[in-house]
Amino acid sequence: PICPNGSNSCQVSLGDLFDRAVRLSHYIHSLSSEMFNEFDERYAQGRGFIAKAINSCHTSSLTTPEDKEQAQQIHHEDLLNVVLSVLRSWNDPLLHLVSEVQRIKEAPDTILWKAMEIEEQNKRLLEGMEKIVGRVHPGDLGNEVYSTWSGLPSLQLADEDSRLFAFYNLLHCFRRDSHKIDNYLKLLKCRLIHDSNC
Amino acid sequence: NGQPPGKPEMIRCRSPEKETFTCWWKPGSDGGLPTNYTLLYTKEREESYHECPDYVTGGPNSCYFDQKHTSVWTIYNMTVKATNALGSNISTPYYVDVAYIVEPNPPVNLTLEWVGQAYASYLLLKWVPPPRADVRSGWLTLEYELRIRPKEEPEWDNIFVGLGTKYQLFRLNPGIKYVAQVRCRSDRGEWSQWSSESHFQVPKEFKLKD
Repeated sequence: PICPNGSNSCQVSLGDLFDRAVRLSHYIHSLSSEMFNEFDERYAQGRGFIAKAINSCHTSSLTTPEDKEQAQQIHHEDLLNVVLSVLRSWNDPLLHLVSEVQRIKEAPDTILWKAMEIEEQNKRLLEGMEKIVGRVHPGDLGNEVYSTWSGLPSLQLADEDSRLFAFYNLLHCFRRDSHKIDNYLKLLKCRLIHDSNC
Repeated sequence: NGQPPGKPEMIRCRSPEKETFTCWWKPGSDGGLPTNYTLLYTKEREESYHECPDYVTGGPNSCYFDQKHTSVWTIYNMTVKATNALGSNISTPYYVDVAYIVEPNPPVNLTLEWVGQAYASYLLLKWVPPPRADVRSGWLTLEYELRIRPKEEPEWDNIFVGLGTKYQLFRLNPGIKYVAQVRCRSDRGEWSQWSSESHFQVPKEFKLKD
């Protein structure tokens, strides 16, 4: 039951928290896919950026499940922490993405709007996840592990090709990580709320 | 006589359930000589080259990656090498991430059932996810689209259903035969093929929903 005008006594159920988180993660991933595809079509055609993007996500140092078996074998507490770590790793780059996208030559408003919307919704999702972790493991806000990002200078390079690759790489990595988060949350929801019987 | 082989070309990769995937290539000219093909790939975060684990399961000119050889959110960089007695030729590198090549098999068991009730009657369409898609654990999330048309008319009516596996259809014309199909896709992936057709004839007399 959703809390009527936030009364204290009433608590949102874990199931509702997961529903909100999955709706948000699905939305964020959709936006990130659209943003990446739009940027790719407009700025990356024929530049071979995909080859350079290999092994270049700042979050690749985080150990994350890469297939169904790994994702199903990991304990839900660890998978929740993976989601938190990946989300936290994107706070800083998404903030800078919003300001730096405005400097791209003829950047369409749609890319700028999506960058702002993603940055906003990612923060909300992180807040929601911290509530979920607090509910699943009271007193534990999850480990504070996350991956730092040092890519701001590359978004401000004078050489256009290098700068565009830096944007491409950031959007490529965020599309990937938002997909991981969405997938892991759907797995967790099915496991914890629907006893793996979605 | 004869010639070295022409340049092969990777053309497509597809995963039906985000657990395995298959890639296909188009051979170049064989130069009039027996030519064989070798697919080599590297994976992100790995240095070493691997050869295709299975050239058979996916049919001619293909490579099948089973669960053990499939990682999601990982870029595969693959090339195909054609070799005959007079030389060899290698395709342009092809990059793929299994997360973005999911094209499920069609849903199955599409059933059409007429539900006649006092206040309104409707057609209840129900179906089941494709057999090998693990929707139950949440690994794969599928959304569905229906299409229906009177049997005698060419134009389909498309209905985006979303995540559910049943749909109530009101306002059908009494006595008319209808044909329906359903398809699915994973988050932002490719639509599956349409399911096989299901047919239904609406009863002649029933109360139309206001």
